[in-house]
Amino acid sequence: MLVQIAWRNIWRNKMRSFVVIGSVTLGIWAGIFILAFSWGLYQSNIRDSVYKQLSHIQIHHPKFRVEKDSKFFISNTDKILDSLHSDKRILAASSRVISTGMISSPTTASGVKILGVDPPSEAKQTGLNENVIDGSYFDSGKDNEILIGQKLAKKLKVKLRSKVIVTFVNIDSEMISAAFRVGGIYRSKNTSLDEENVYVLKDHLRELLNLKPAESNEIAILLKNEEDLKAVKNYVAGLVPTGKVEDWKELSPELGLVIESFNLYTYLISGIILLALIFGIINTMLMSILERVRELGMIMAIGLNKRKLFSMILLETLFLTLIGCPIGLLMGWLSIEYFGEYGINISRFSEGLSSYGFSSVIYPALDNQKYAIVAIMCVITSLLAAIYPAYRALQLNPAEAIRKI
Amino acid sequence: MAKTIIDAHNVSKTYNPDKVPVKAVKEVHLHIEEGEFVALVGPSGSGKSTLLNMIGGLDDPTSGSVIIDDVEITELSENKLIDFRLHNIGFVFQSFNLIPVLTAKENVGFVLQLQKFDKEKREKRVMELLKEVGLEDKVNTKPGELSGGQQQRVAVARALASKPKIVLADEPTANLDSKAAANLMDIMSKLNEEEKITFLFSTHDQRVIKKARRVITLVDGKIDSDEEQTPSEE
Repeated sequence: MLVQIAWRNIWRNKMRSFVVIGSVTLGIWAGIFILAFSWGLYQSNIRDSVYKQLSHIQIHHPKFRVEKDSKFFISNTDKILDSLHSDKRILAASSRVISTGMISSPTTASGVKILGVDPPSEAKQTGLNENVIDGSYFDSGKDNEILIGQKLAKKLKVKLRSKVIVTFVNIDSEMISAAFRVGGIYRSKNTSLDEENVYVLKDHLRELLNLKPAESNEIAILLKNEEDLKAVKNYVAGLVPTGKVEDWKELSPELGLVIESFNLYTYLISGIILLALIFGIINTMLMSILERVRELGMIMAIGLNKRKLFSMILLETLFLTLIGCPIGLLMGWLSIEYFGEYGINISRFSEGLSSYGFSSVIYPALDNQKYAIVAIMCVITSLLAAIYPAYRALQLNPAEAIRKI
Repeated sequence: MAKTIIDAHNVSKTYNPDKVPVKAVKEVHLHIEEGEFVALVGPSGSGKSTLLNMIGGLDDPTSGSVIIDDVEITELSENKLIDFRLHNIGFVFQSFNLIPVLTAKENVGFVLQLQKFDKEKREKRVMELLKEVGLEDKVNTKPGELSGGQQQRVAVARALASKPKIVLADEPTANLDSKAAANLMDIMSKLNEEEKITFLFSTHDQRVIKKARRVITLVDGKIDSDEEQTPSEE
C-alpha cells in the first residue's frame, strides 16, 4: 500500500515530477558522456602510445633505460626475433639500435634520440611509414637517409634532401659525427616526440656505433591480444634471461596512472553531478511535504507510524530518482554507442592536444563497471536526498499538522 | 451499568507555557460510557478540538490523565500510542480526511492494511461499510471526484473500519450543507446503535446537536454543562 501511495503521490504534480526526472536524466546522461569522452580521450592516447610508440613489451639490457648508453645492448637479437616471430600470440616484433646525440643544421642544433630501425619491421610494428608527410620512407636505398619529424624540421630550418650532421658517442665512448640527408619528414599524433625522435637505418647506425650484427638496444613486441600480456611477458623473460622485460605500463608509468586517476575521476564527476541533483530533489520533496502537511498529519493520526511515514517519503524520492536514472543511463549508453562508432572530431583543438599525444578524433567509451558505479551512486543520492524531507515529515505533530492552514 | 470508555481526569492544556501561556482546556473531568453518542459543543476557541485531540492521543495534556478503555494513554510511548490509536480510535476530521491518491475503497481499507488484515476480510469489511454509508457505487472513485458529504461518509466508514472502541469526530459537518450534514449524522447515529461504537463529536451546529443523546458544553476550556437529551428525529 505504501508503495502504491508513494507512486501515486509523485504523479500528483506531474510537471514538478517531470522537471526532477528530467534533471536527473540530463545529469546522469551528461555525467556518463563526460566520463566516456574522457575515457575515449585517454584510451586513444594509451592505444596510440602502445601501437605507435611503445608496443606491448620491450626488452633492454638491464642498464640501458637508466644509462641511455648504446653500450648496454642485447646480443643474439636475430635468434630472439626468430623465436618471437614463430609465436602465434605475437603480431610483430622488431629490434632497434638506439643512441642519443645532437642533430645540427647550418642554422641550429637540437638534442635527439636516434633510432636505428629496420624499415619493414618498424612499419609493421608502429606504422611509422604512415606518418610520413613529405618525401619517402627509406625508399632511396642509401645508407645515410634520415627521417625527421616536422616540428624538428621547422626548428632546424631544413627541408627534404637537406643535409644534417648527427653527433653521438659510440660504444667505445668515441665521439662520432655522421652526415645524413633528410629523406622523409613525418608527423605523428605526439608532436613532442616528433621533435625528439629521428629514424635512420638500423644496420648503418649499428656500424657507426661499432655494434656487431645481431646486437641491438631494444626489442619491441606487439601482441595480437592484450590479454596475453602477462603470459607473453613471462615467456619472453625466459627467452632472454639476461634482459630486462617490461610491459607498456612499466615503460610509461604515466599511462598506468591515467587509468588509476580515471577511476578517481569517475567518482569525482559523478559525485559533483549527483550532489547538484541532491539539492533539486530535496527542494522538490520539501515542497511536496509542505503542501501535504494536513494530509500527513491525518495519516499519522489514523495510525501510520513514523517508520512507515519515513518509508513512504523515501519511496517517493527513490521513484523520482530511479525513473530518471535508467533513462539517463540509456541515453548515455546510446550516445556513447553512436559516437563510439563514428567518433567526435576535435581537430579544432587537436593542435594543442597533439602536443600531449592525444588524437583529433575521440571515440567515447565506457566499461560496464562505470555504468554500475553511476547507477549505485544514483541510488545513494536519492537515499541521501530523501533523508531531510523525511526528517521534516517526521517532525510533524499530527494535532498541529491537521490545524495547519 | 455500562463500562466507562473515556475517562479524562483533571485534564488541562496550556499552549506556549514558557512565553505567553494560553490555557485552552482547564481541569476538565469527563466520563463517557461505552455506546454513548455525545456532542461536545461550544463557541470557537472554547477548547473542543484540543480536548478531542487529547482524548484521541494526538496531543499531550499539560496536566491530568486520559484513560481510554482502561489504558492510560497519556503514559504510552509514541509508538505504542500510534498503535493504540490504530486499533482503538477512529477519527473523522473537519477536512483533509482522505488520502487524495486513493479511491474510496482504498481509503477505507488503508487502516485495515496497517493492521495487516488479509485481503479477503478487508475487502468484505470495506464493502460492508461503504454500503452502510450509501457509497457502494463510488468504491473506485477518488476523493477529488466525491462531494464534501460523500467524502465525510467515506471518512466515517474508514473510522469504523477496524471496529474501534470510540470514534472521535472534530466538527465533521462544518463544511457540509444542511442536507449532507443531516445525512451524515443519521449514518453516524445508525452505526452507533448498530455497532455499539462510542461517538464523541465536536460541533456548534444546532441541527447536529439535536441528534446527540448527550450534550457537553465547553466554555473557556471548562465544562459548562453536561446534559442528556432525546435526539430529534428531524
